[in-house]
Amino acid sequence: MHLTSVLVIGATVIALLVLAVYVIAVRTPEGKLDHVGGMRLVLWLGAIFPTVVLTALLLWALPAMRPLPHQSGDLRIQVQGEQFWWRLRYEDGNGPGVISANEVRVPVGRTVVFDVTATDVVHSFWIPGLGGKMDMIPGRINRLVVKADKPGIFRGVCAEFCGLSHALMAFDVIAMEPSAFDAWLASARGVPARADGRGAELFSANGCGACHTVKGTPHTAMIGPDLTRLGERRSLAAGTLPPTLESTAAFIRNASRFKPGARMPAYSAMPIEDATEIARWLRSADGEAGR
Amino acid sequence: MSLHDQDDPALRAAQEKRLRAVWEPPKGLFLRWTDTNNNQVGVWYVLTAFGFMLFAGVLALIMRTQLAVPENDLVTPGTFNQLFTLHGSVMMFLFAVPMFEAVSIILLPQLLGARDLPFPRLSAFGYWSFLLGGLFVSGSIFFDAAPDGGWFMYPPLTTRTDLSGLGADIWMLGLSFIEVSSVAAAVELIVGVLKCRPPGMRLNLMPLYAWYILVVAVMILFAFPPLIAGDILFEMERLLDWPFFDASRGGDPLLWQHLFWIFGHPEVYIVFLPSIALFAMLVPTFARRHLLGYPWIVLAAVGTAFLSFGLWVHHMFTTGLPKISLAFFSAASEAVAIPTAVQIFVFIITLWAGRVVWSTPLLYATGSLAIFVIGGLTGVMVAVAPFDWQAHDTYFVVAHLHYVLIGGTLMPLFAGLYYYWPLVTGKKLSDRLGRTAFWLLFVGANLCFFPMHLSGLEGMPRRVFTYPEELGLGGLNLASTIGSFIIASGVAVIVLDLCRSPWRPKAARNPWQAGTLEWLAKPEDENWGVRSIPLIESRYPIWDQEDFVRKVDEGRFFLPDAEEGRRETIVTSVLDARPVAVIRLGSPSWLPMLTALALGGVFILTTYHFYWLALVSSFATLGLVLTWLWVGTAETPEKPCKPIGHGLELPLYISGSAAPGWWAMFITMMADATAFSGLVFGYYFFWTRHEDFPPEGMDFAPGLFWPMAALALGVATWVATVAAREVHARGGVNLARTLVAGAIVLAMAGIFAGLAGPWLSGMDPAAHSYPAIVWVLALWTSIHSGIAAIMLAYVLARSLAGRMTPRHDAEIRNVTVYAHFLALTAVVTYLTIGLFPEVA
Amino acid sequence: MNRDPLKWHERLRVSLWTLIVPPAVWAGHFLFSYLWASISCAKVGSFARFPTLFVAGTVVALAIILVSGWIAWKQQRMTGDPPPHESGTQIDRLRFIAKSTLLLAGLSFVAVLFSALPVAFLSDCR
Repeated sequence: MHLTSVLVIGATVIALLVLAVYVIAVRTPEGKLDHVGGMRLVLWLGAIFPTVVLTALLLWALPAMRPLPHQSGDLRIQVQGEQFWWRLRYEDGNGPGVISANEVRVPVGRTVVFDVTATDVVHSFWIPGLGGKMDMIPGRINRLVVKADKPGIFRGVCAEFCGLSHALMAFDVIAMEPSAFDAWLASARGVPARADGRGAELFSANGCGACHTVKGTPHTAMIGPDLTRLGERRSLAAGTLPPTLESTAAFIRNASRFKPGARMPAYSAMPIEDATEIARWLRSADGEAGR
Repeated sequence: MSLHDQDDPALRAAQEKRLRAVWEPPKGLFLRWTDTNNNQVGVWYVLTAFGFMLFAGVLALIMRTQLAVPENDLVTPGTFNQLFTLHGSVMMFLFAVPMFEAVSIILLPQLLGARDLPFPRLSAFGYWSFLLGGLFVSGSIFFDAAPDGGWFMYPPLTTRTDLSGLGADIWMLGLSFIEVSSVAAAVELIVGVLKCRPPGMRLNLMPLYAWYILVVAVMILFAFPPLIAGDILFEMERLLDWPFFDASRGGDPLLWQHLFWIFGHPEVYIVFLPSIALFAMLVPTFARRHLLGYPWIVLAAVGTAFLSFGLWVHHMFTTGLPKISLAFFSAASEAVAIPTAVQIFVFIITLWAGRVVWSTPLLYATGSLAIFVIGGLTGVMVAVAPFDWQAHDTYFVVAHLHYVLIGGTLMPLFAGLYYYWPLVTGKKLSDRLGRTAFWLLFVGANLCFFPMHLSGLEGMPRRVFTYPEELGLGGLNLASTIGSFIIASGVAVIVLDLCRSPWRPKAARNPWQAGTLEWLAKPEDENWGVRSIPLIESRYPIWDQEDFVRKVDEGRFFLPDAEEGRRETIVTSVLDARPVAVIRLGSPSWLPMLTALALGGVFILTTYHFYWLALVSSFATLGLVLTWLWVGTAETPEKPCKPIGHGLELPLYISGSAAPGWWAMFITMMADATAFSGLVFGYYFFWTRHEDFPPEGMDFAPGLFWPMAALALGVATWVATVAAREVHARGGVNLARTLVAGAIVLAMAGIFAGLAGPWLSGMDPAAHSYPAIVWVLALWTSIHSGIAAIMLAYVLARSLAGRMTPRHDAEIRNVTVYAHFLALTAVVTYLTIGLFPEVA
Repeated sequence: MNRDPLKWHERLRVSLWTLIVPPAVWAGHFLFSYLWASISCAKVGSFARFPTLFVAGTVVALAIILVSGWIAWKQQRMTGDPPPHESGTQIDRLRFIAKSTLLLAGLSFVAVLFSALPVAFLSDCR
């Protein structure tokens, strides 16, 4: 914000200055300014003044381009943009990576390294409240280093146009106290307890497992988002719907009604009760925000 | 003929009658469209571009209505994507660039005291191509088939045929076609400025508009070809599955971004500078004095042109390139603000030194200056990379670019419209309606776009069809929407003003009391341009030269007659505008329109995968072009020289570097070489992207032998052509014919040798980006060898038909220019694909 | 014949081609900087802190710009009538191109310095 304020104030001052010169110029009667005087003004106002200002700006801005430093032990989060959601993998060096989707958790005060990429089209990973954006480009892995100063919830979005539902590709970032984060990551490594029942059967019977992973079940496919801890997420379908049973059921029956261009097929023939059962089962895991 | 002959009114009347007859536009329902005169073609061009602007404006209104409130569902996401893609593409490719060309086609001959531009048929061809391509691209939205990938069409979204439909092909092929017409216009304008100035108009007396047009046209030559190269790769991927941008097969989506923005950033200045050029004409008029700091404007124009090619990566600040690379472009993006500031202050200081006369055009100029300054300053902000990491791809950038384009292109064009309307129609527009429209536009533009800075900083990405209510952006967006409708009402007032113009009385000649040459035009339209081509001694001849207008009108300067019944204009030397020759200009003809149709057929039929018909259409194009050249160019005049008055006698035939045709060939080949360098860039770009290049298993393709053979044949073609030119000039016609025939054989052998390398080593272009780029380079060079063979055959035919002689040898001289570039292309291509794998 | 032979910088008359020398040098230097950094980063993974190659290239570019600016300065100072020099004479045409070249040399000099600055602040390939 410091940068933005300096730039905004500077731009405003210069704009007012140009305006003032213009007003003087049209009000001055003919003959007050001769050729030599005019040329001197062009030299000073048109050439020397901007050169000095821009040199100062450049000298001040170049050091600000240096990326934040990070070490090999820092938390790494791999993010892969997909049409139209976010595939996540946390690596902190204390065990196997944790796979998740559509909601990022970061510890406050620690350096976090995002390694971002994509496989289908170009996306861009942007958390306006935490730092600049970084494009996710197929075939390239780009690195963005951030550090959250205080706990809170930030909104992230896809900033590069990526297709029909580009506007519906968001995520939440939850900045947590480091200890809470460590506890969360440890629990996410495990398998959550989950009631068996009709929802599980319907999930299998409808072939949902062909695309989705639900840890602790035989379903390990990686095409769609990992649904293991769906219940703890603050939103559904990458920031598109509220995290309720009803919206989950509705989304299951017709995903592209809410997200045009989503690759999940419609299950319009599925009775609403069945969809609700699947939704209830998915949301039943013992996440911290299980609803 | 002496000076005193012009004292005779009867003689003058007879001259005027002859001139009028020669420049008479064709009449009749159909025939009138065969006209090539700049006064007609320019007006069609302007009206068409204006129509496309209105169309793109309506698209924007639909978008703004959709975004007026959060979570609106007026249009579907698919439609919305087509709307913003087409809005940007139409405004850039079908309004801003063609509008500058159109205005220049009308104004430039007037400004330069020429009867017409040097290649009127080329202007007509450019216009018909533009109309056809423009209708093709913008009509697609009515079939729900418009391009929907954003105006910069980033792959892989747009190259994957499962993710994008016909719209991507329509964009690529339709706009490539229009790029061809832009390059044609650039050739026309450069040669017009350099070679068709009136006697005495040395470089330092040239109207600044002409300086700007020269600079902008040269920029087009270097900016558009990289995009054409990108288009070629893009369509190769879409139609043939050659993986230039597919990361899974060694391609890289960033290659497109580089090629697009090498075009895309200069493009911004290509549409900005001509509008500022209008300021440079109207500011002195309303300051009632010479522009102060003429060399400073030239500095600014040339400096901006160069710097604008060092900015492209600032559109790619978030692509993860090394920060050091970004920093170079950040620095250049700051530097380009210096020449821009120079231009603004030159205008302000001129007003300061002069006596300001308020008028509607000056009001528009003032308003656009205010808007542009804001856009320029936000431009400096986004050039600071760390700020851009936040602002990039958000509504902040949308606000910035609209401030720049409204302040730097649209409003100056309206200033020019009010200023130059009397020049074109002989009537003034209404000052009252003009002022009303101005305030609507000014208030509307600020209300529409200023809030976007804020919504962008608050996190609203661009190209979203909706936004959630919780973000609290509803108020800002509603303000923008209201602003957009106020802008639209301003434009509507201007349209109303234009529609009422035919019923207004004629204005006085030179109604603003301007000092520059174009205001010689009389309210009663004459198609001959100027009555006699004046001798120029000042930058503001109407103000400074004694009895100037009367002398021009009474035909007391050069070329006051058209004795032979031909359309003619004077060619002068580049630096000092010494008269060099009189050239005969193309007369009305069906050929430009038919050629445009045939060439359009090639692009449009390819879009729909009708490859055989496209091939037929390309043969038709070739046939038409050859006919056009045969009947319309390098004709042997009936006498070697003609008098142009004041005892001057000028040749009617010139060839080599004094001739406009030679310059046109040279300039076209500069553009061609630039496109080629885009492809070569692709090759070395892939090298930087791969540890192992050429990749495993392709180490020995395409081998050394065939590329070196093709290289030798390319150079031999060149040697034979140059030798033919020299021998021919010394009278050895038969030996020259033999050499040309030999060159044809060598060029044709070059085709096969060029393709033999990749073919015989079994390179599969769909397998990996390496064989694909090698194939593209070999194909490009082989096609150029093929064109060389056709050109040389044409030269041979001209010689055998007696139309080319050692005295009249433009054909062989122009084809030699082509041969120079062919040799360069062959050397670079075959050294690259043959030798680089050995050293890489 | 006792006319002084023209000095070399007087013989080298400014023209449209000499006009674009300073900005073309900037363009060359810019391209060189960009390619040097991006190829080093892509192929080596780093570029040295104050590499001789880059400094030498920058010094050469600045020197060419200075020389062409100096020639232009000499030529635009030709004695004669007072400013504004805007008549249709040979000498004013020469003065005009010389003045424009001088101004472009100034702009190009600043622009080359701008392009060289990043290397002083950024030292790795991130």
